[in-house]
Amino acid sequence: MPLDTSSYSLALLRLDGRRWNELRRLTAQISTQASADGSSYLEMGNTKVICTVSGPSEQKAAGSDRGERDKAGVRVEISVAGFSGVERKRRGRNDKRINEMATTISSAFQTNLFTNLFPHSTITLSLHLLSSDGSVLAALLNASTLALIDAGIPMKDYICACTAGSTSSYSSNDESADPLLDLNAQEELELPFLTVATLGGSDSVSVLVMETKVQVGRLEGMLAVGVDGCKQVREVLDEVVRERGSRILEGTKL
Amino acid sequence: MAITILAPAPAIIPYQAESSPDDSDDGGVDLQGDVSMRPAKRARHSREIITPGEIITDDAQWMRGHGTYVAASSSEIIATVAGTVQKTNKLLSVRPLRARYTPEIGDLVVGRIIEVQSKRWRVDVGAPVLANLPLSAINLPGGILRRRTETDELQIRTFFSEGDLLVAEVQALYQDGSASLHTRSLKYGKLRNGVFMSVSGVGGGGGVVRARRQVWTIDTAHGGGKVDVILGVNGYIWISKHVEVTGGEAAITRIEESVSSTVYSSQNDAIERETRREMARIGGVIQLLVTEGLRVDEDMVMKGYEAAVEVDNLNTGESNAYLSVEKGQEVLKLLRGI
Amino acid sequence: MPRETAPSLNEKLFFQKALEENLRIDGRAFDQFRALELEFGDEYGVADVRLGKTRIHTHISAQVTAPLPEKPFDGLFTLTTELSPMASPAFEVSRPTPTELLLSRLLEKTIRRSQALDTESLCLLAGQKVWAVRADVHVLSHDGNLVDAASIAVIAALQHFRRPDVSVEGESVVVFGLEEREPVPLSMLHFPLCVTFSFYDLGGGAGEEEGEMRVLIDATSSEEMLRDGGCTVGMNRHGEVCQIAKLGGVPVDAVVLLNCIAVAGQKVREISDFVKGRLESDRKKRDKGGWMEELRAENDRVS
Repeated sequence: MPLDTSSYSLALLRLDGRRWNELRRLTAQISTQASADGSSYLEMGNTKVICTVSGPSEQKAAGSDRGERDKAGVRVEISVAGFSGVERKRRGRNDKRINEMATTISSAFQTNLFTNLFPHSTITLSLHLLSSDGSVLAALLNASTLALIDAGIPMKDYICACTAGSTSSYSSNDESADPLLDLNAQEELELPFLTVATLGGSDSVSVLVMETKVQVGRLEGMLAVGVDGCKQVREVLDEVVRERGSRILEGTKL
Repeated sequence: MAITILAPAPAIIPYQAESSPDDSDDGGVDLQGDVSMRPAKRARHSREIITPGEIITDDAQWMRGHGTYVAASSSEIIATVAGTVQKTNKLLSVRPLRARYTPEIGDLVVGRIIEVQSKRWRVDVGAPVLANLPLSAINLPGGILRRRTETDELQIRTFFSEGDLLVAEVQALYQDGSASLHTRSLKYGKLRNGVFMSVSGVGGGGGVVRARRQVWTIDTAHGGGKVDVILGVNGYIWISKHVEVTGGEAAITRIEESVSSTVYSSQNDAIERETRREMARIGGVIQLLVTEGLRVDEDMVMKGYEAAVEVDNLNTGESNAYLSVEKGQEVLKLLRGI
Repeated sequence: MPRETAPSLNEKLFFQKALEENLRIDGRAFDQFRALELEFGDEYGVADVRLGKTRIHTHISAQVTAPLPEKPFDGLFTLTTELSPMASPAFEVSRPTPTELLLSRLLEKTIRRSQALDTESLCLLAGQKVWAVRADVHVLSHDGNLVDAASIAVIAALQHFRRPDVSVEGESVVVFGLEEREPVPLSMLHFPLCVTFSFYDLGGGAGEEEGEMRVLIDATSSEEMLRDGGCTVGMNRHGEVCQIAKLGGVPVDAVVLLNCIAVAGQKVREISDFVKGRLESDRKKRDKGGWMEELRAENDRVS
């Protein structure tokens, strides 16, 4: 069903009332799961994700992503709840899209974490997508970052992710197209978009995934807006960690 | 039936600092200078939270410690974990709020046997890698000074087998950060007559902290008798009935006999109902301390236990060891009143 | 489990030092492809691509089937990839490796999701009969940069392929044999190709120094094993980006990435022209002057 995106040009407001450069409500909690070494719960609009980290620990299970001799391996498991989307769908273990996301997250954190501090051990990230409304990969990356911080695993910086799109569909060549920040599922269906993850507040892009066709000229604007959004995301995540930290410190004053 | 969507309840607002005088025996010796919350240490210990990626300093005079890294071709020291900055002379390190246990020599740990190999055990102590307990590092029956023989190797499972719990000390560390344990003392060895608890480990926040005494005996109320508490530095805790060593302290020459008879036994002694109840109460207190993010050490557990007994005494009816949410709040109130 | 043998530390250091001197092991420029060879088979829709020692064979086939119930007007297009132990001992039968997963996903995203093949034109009878086009990608030899080579192979094979002509009268569909009527080419909307970049961080792992980043095109398998991150860009010659996949790895400055995309556009145009040239010469070879030529008695005998 085509979505009516024409209304945007009239009021410069998106379907959910946001302006082009506004993020959805981004909230997060950490240390939500008692049994895990680190855990987090993150909401980006209606996309909801739980992440638990276990390890680094020595794992018996052999696999391709098992820890190497001189550094830890990062294993990522993503499970998508049947009730997460509009349609109830059973996804097999071999969903390539999910596996690709898992590989992406694993590879992004493999270089960001100081895995050399934990030889021949494995850090397991278990991600659960509870509700999906766009920007799924971004939400998964953000939740993973928080859970890894909670687990006290050393990393270079936050990996923060968000999506950016463009109001022009690829066929039309109108010059007035605006870039958009943080798309929801409806917008993702209709518009070209990319997911970008940066390292901390810098412009270094760790993950960049785009699956839709777009004119090369649009890309620069989208990427700029995305990178800028990542900085906003970092502030929010940082606030969550600080709040949690000061609460812990308050508690220990007794 | 209508579906109602409940807004997530905000977490209980933790105790606000009422600047309670924290004068809990700081006259003592700080083991390894590692007990963070002692007032004496505060001067060197920042209360400010540092998060990963944050630049701590760009002054080249500092050396980087744990929890930091230096970017290539610059002198900036950048944090890699979320926690508090600690300065030891010229060494800057960041203590994480929460992290997995990293073994250090001399730590008293509680562990569980995961794997039995021909000359050693592999022990889970909650660290990134399993710890080793070599056959040569345990007290063999029939005397401490006996040589290890092939018969012992064949009977390795009679000492510890998979799933057994033990208390041990970290003797050495390997290059990869894994620990080698020993139980060559009567304080150490197999654990029985009690319950195991796991609380997540050390850090700037709550959990078990390295303290002067990790093992002590509580004289419990309500006729529970004596209960031993072992707080492993790794966050593993053992609460058990206190068993008097036969012959008492005097019979130091007869150690070998007691070693042979009881140390590797897998049989529990008879434990009274009252003792079990008090053990449950201690467990509840420790759990409460952990969920509130408080430090777990002898002092806190003792105060908490006394408060719990007091709260229980106020209640009419049969004594109940279970620390419900309401009772937990009352215990906390009492604790904060101290 | 057979694994690819990891390069030794000395090899790695040698390679890094060479990169610092702006040299590659095989002496190529950083943005230079290896020798690209493209051959077509006797049948329509068979393409064999060689990129250095990497060799990929692609076969396109088509048959008439029922469409998916949710898309009654669309033909089917499936892409299957196979990495067999023949290509490299590290691959095993029936156990997908991450390499294979990424290869098939990237091809899928570049070619299928970007609507390179006009699936609506494959419809014969709405809701009942459509063409199902299938592209089988076989990796015969693996020496890095599978994605780029495979995308060239698939796009070339799709352009080369001819499906049998059909006539639809009411409810009945007649498929003509290749001898009865001249087969028709597939209707393609655009021709996307992939260009993969490999990133090497020489700044000691901190990723702060942009100047210390080296970007290579068309990495061999040993270069791929040493790389700190990669990025695959799918584009067509009109400057439309079909997909970008920088799946983790070392963080790269956004400006460098935009630069890569510009380079990709240029490379895609070069390769597109190359493929076009080869298709043209293949067509000339096949077309010896039409039916009249073929019917002449002095035609070459096929022995």
